[in-house]
Amino acid sequence: MGSWVRAAALVAGKDLRLEYRTRDLLSSVGLFALLVVVVASFSFPTWGQGRQGVGAGMLWMALLFAGLLGMGRSLALEKEEGCLQGLLSSPAPREAIYLGKLASLVLFVSAVEVLLVPSFLVLLQLDVGPGLPLLILAVPLGTLGIAVVGTLFATVAVQTRTREVILPLLVMPLLVPVMIAAVKATQAALEGLGVGQARTWLLLLTSYDLLFLLVGLATFPHLVEE
Amino acid sequence: MEARRQELDPEAVARGLPWQGLATARRYFGAGALILLALLLPAAFLHAPEDLEQGPPQRIFYVHVPAAWIAFLAFFVVFVASIALLATGRSRYDLLASASAEVGVVFTTGVLITGPLWARPIWGVWWDWDPRLTSVLVLWLIYLSYLALRTYLPDPARRARASAVLGIVGFLDVPIIYFSVSWWRALHPSHVIIARGGPRMPPEMFHALLLGLAGFTLLYLYLLAVRVRVGALRQMEEVGE
Repeated sequence: MGSWVRAAALVAGKDLRLEYRTRDLLSSVGLFALLVVVVASFSFPTWGQGRQGVGAGMLWMALLFAGLLGMGRSLALEKEEGCLQGLLSSPAPREAIYLGKLASLVLFVSAVEVLLVPSFLVLLQLDVGPGLPLLILAVPLGTLGIAVVGTLFATVAVQTRTREVILPLLVMPLLVPVMIAAVKATQAALEGLGVGQARTWLLLLTSYDLLFLLVGLATFPHLVEE
Repeated sequence: MEARRQELDPEAVARGLPWQGLATARRYFGAGALILLALLLPAAFLHAPEDLEQGPPQRIFYVHVPAAWIAFLAFFVVFVASIALLATGRSRYDLLASASAEVGVVFTTGVLITGPLWARPIWGVWWDWDPRLTSVLVLWLIYLSYLALRTYLPDPARRARASAVLGIVGFLDVPIIYFSVSWWRALHPSHVIIARGGPRMPPEMFHALLLGLAGFTLLYLYLLAVRVRVGALRQMEEVGE
């Protein structure tokens, strides 16, 4: 177990160091997510009653797209210059590579969220107030759901000829429960409700995350087999 | 991958194909399906009484429910075959999984066409975001992406493993999708087929339903067997080249 955590930390550390040095992705994906929110503000009724629900949906669409871009790029970098081959021939267990890629994706999307969520709240004139604890729980749980499935299928998608097209096709239907639960929990938070009032959605997110984390750990080694 | 290097003698080729039993039985499945589905017409239109509340549109039930049953059966077969593929690495399970996914998508499309046709006269709308309808729609999308993925992966071994992972994740996702949608919005008739004290429908209706279920199951097996055989021949061609 200790060796798994260490190897996963090394893989995640490598990704984060790469991102820190180039700052390639965070700025462009962060800007992209902000653009989705701004453009969506012109497309949906984002004023008056009910804007909490519309806003929650907009936020998660932006985060889903940001996650798709992030995961696609992260695995594409591994594929270039045979980097994945290097990882696989290292003594790190395959499961640890999955955990490492997962961790770096979660941290990356979280960094986008730290920039995006406050500006989103300001732009939509939303005051979270008492809903803050729920928001702080719902956003990472939803992010983890996107990442557990995303890391797995980004690994599949980089092996195909048209990886940019196939990744959203694979991931979006599978993420329907995450989107429903995360949007509902976020909406409750924006309406100022407490954690207790969104218990169902948080439980759903947690069980989804756990189930597909286990499935990811069990199936990822098969995906990278030569 | 086990290499198959038989000589191109048709007899030897046919004997070397995986799922030989299924292929041999396909004519019986086909004939059985033809007979039962021919009987289903009079059973659904004449033998079964007209529904008091819904009138004639209710008769689409005898096609809609069997198609939905086959969709689930087909994707369950994909799920099991996908696990078997990852566990054993034998390409015959990929053959079974891909054939079943294809047939499953056809039946799911049938459910998605007959559903709105039934919903329009009864509920007054073509579509409703009800848990079962929505789950079937998402299911259809998942397995369409499964078929799309297969066309994008040229290497057979990689294709088999990658689609197996999707076959497993997709099936495990189904109950979660169902519950998430039912908590999100809750109009579909409740379970009228299996209830305590026997089915809550006249026996004649139940006969027609059973006939539909049996006929569609045989049709599924027939299509599966044909599709597996085509896949096996294609695989052999790939190896032979």
